[in-house]
Amino acid sequence: MLVGVLLAPAVVLPLWVSLYDREDPTLAGIPFFYWFQILLIFVAVGLTVPAYLLSRDAERADRVRHGLPSEPAGTGGEED
Amino acid sequence: MLDHVNGVVLGVFVFLFLLVTVLGFAAARWRRAESLDNLDEWGLGGRGFGTFIAWFLIGGDIYTAYTFIAVPATLYAGSVVGFFAVPYTIVVYPLIFLFLPRLWSVSHRHGYVTPADFVQGRYDSRVLALAVALTGILATMPYIALQLVGMQVVLQVMGIGGGSDSWYVNDVPLFLAFAVLAAYTYSSGLRAPALIAFVKDALIYLVILVAVFYIPHQLGGWGHVFSSVSDSFDTFNSENADAIAAGEAVPKGTMPVGPAQWAYASLALGSALALFMYPHSITGVLSTRNRSVIRRNAALLPAYSFLLGLLALLGFVAIAAGVKVENPQQSVPQLFEDQFSPWFAGVAFAAIVIGALVPAAIMSIAAANLWTRNVYKAFINRHATHAQEATQSKVVSLLVKFGALVFVLALSKDFAINLQLLGGVWILQTLPAIVIGLYTRWLHRWAVLAGWAAGMAWGTWLAYGVASPVQKHFGGPLVFFPGTETKVYIALLALALNLVVAAVLTVVLRAAKVDEGVDQTSPQDYHADHGDPGVEEELTPESAVHA
Repeated sequence: MLVGVLLAPAVVLPLWVSLYDREDPTLAGIPFFYWFQILLIFVAVGLTVPAYLLSRDAERADRVRHGLPSEPAGTGGEED
Repeated sequence: MLDHVNGVVLGVFVFLFLLVTVLGFAAARWRRAESLDNLDEWGLGGRGFGTFIAWFLIGGDIYTAYTFIAVPATLYAGSVVGFFAVPYTIVVYPLIFLFLPRLWSVSHRHGYVTPADFVQGRYDSRVLALAVALTGILATMPYIALQLVGMQVVLQVMGIGGGSDSWYVNDVPLFLAFAVLAAYTYSSGLRAPALIAFVKDALIYLVILVAVFYIPHQLGGWGHVFSSVSDSFDTFNSENADAIAAGEAVPKGTMPVGPAQWAYASLALGSALALFMYPHSITGVLSTRNRSVIRRNAALLPAYSFLLGLLALLGFVAIAAGVKVENPQQSVPQLFEDQFSPWFAGVAFAAIVIGALVPAAIMSIAAANLWTRNVYKAFINRHATHAQEATQSKVVSLLVKFGALVFVLALSKDFAINLQLLGGVWILQTLPAIVIGLYTRWLHRWAVLAGWAAGMAWGTWLAYGVASPVQKHFGGPLVFFPGTETKVYIALLALALNLVVAAVLTVVLRAAKVDEGVDQTSPQDYHADHGDPGVEEELTPESAVHA
């Protein structure tokens, strides 16, 4: 769940166009509209990395809930 | 035909092009190739791709002619809505992060190789699986068409073809590029684009970094670029004020104003949802080694979005640099030719063309795999041998490219981004079957099918009805939301109808107790990972799906 909460802004903010559809403040002559969206990329990365770390714990809980061992067995090198 | 060709540009270009062509054919020998006469080797490169290669392969789906040609062209033409590519590529990764590990797990538990396999297993309906497979093949064609247009544009700027009255001279370079693509895909399968992807990415990164830092610097910085662009647009708007007032011309701007925000957001969301429904994206994702590879990639891939954003802005840079071209899609190649020394322009052109070839090859292979597995083997020849399957895929990969060629020749090439957006209208109609199917079996199989049919029909009809200055039909991706003056992406409208039909009919069919089929999957399947019992090390397309 927490993973979803972390990732939600990365989906909602880029689609909320009226939030950033403006000229000012400019950054080094670049309108807000453009530099804000570029900034959002880094925000998204900043959210996805912790979401990835959290998801590994969430994954273990999910696995146990569905009757799997908390970690997959080994690396499973053998072919079927 | 060869009037304005610069020898150095052409020389460097041809050298690099030949280099990757040799690589493409040599790829047949790369990574334990025993025989390419079976689908596993030809169509999935033996499934030995780890995180690193997967990153290049998935990234290759995004860095295409779309990024270099189609998106900057819209900005150059003063239609800022094209910048939606940036929010699109931001939104897509959280979605991949959330949905695709489930698809990975269930696919590896049951030996599903294509999205249609999953639909078959989940809904127990061969017809629904067929619908998903055919949609994938159809939607891939305009996306490949975009790549062909991208190659053609670069060749035109180099002075090869184009600018002639003869369609023969105009289209020869396109056919040439097409032939090379077809030949090495046919002979080497997925190994070719996977191996070339390294060269492609190295070239592309080099070109992008130089382009987005060197050229704006030469022109006096990004601030200057933006101020000259708004001057240029203001001039255009005041010179054409009468035409704009009369609705004959579209005003240019650097910002989506008012209702255009909805067009912008809906294009971004629609494209993001569509991207990972495409057969080639799913091929790339399923070829990863375990679930966390997908998530790690989702966290790393936005590096691509950053450069995509800067590349899109090259459309503005071209305006500031005084590039004047009739076809907006030539703006970036022309900018490179004007600003770079000839040898580096050659490198840049080669990067764009190779950057279009790689995804085109991957897309046609993925579409061909869909055909062989979910149409040929499911309906035409249930006892096909491995060699027969490989032959089917190879031949269909050619047919898909011919289909793409039809899109190129039939539709306007001025804004190839519309081709990709048309593909998005179709592929998005498989979302209820695939994404909702990953979470719940509530939707009834026949309701999903009816929703798909309704979405496909209405979406195609709406797209058919969009006229542009250069063509009567399929002229653009946007229509008015019914009852309003606000334009939105057709794909989302069609998806909304699709979902409503699916939901309503589900209630009806369930009330009528119509047989809903047997679900082969269990809740646990959606969480299984590499190393768990029953999880296949590598997915092999010729092995049967197991329950």
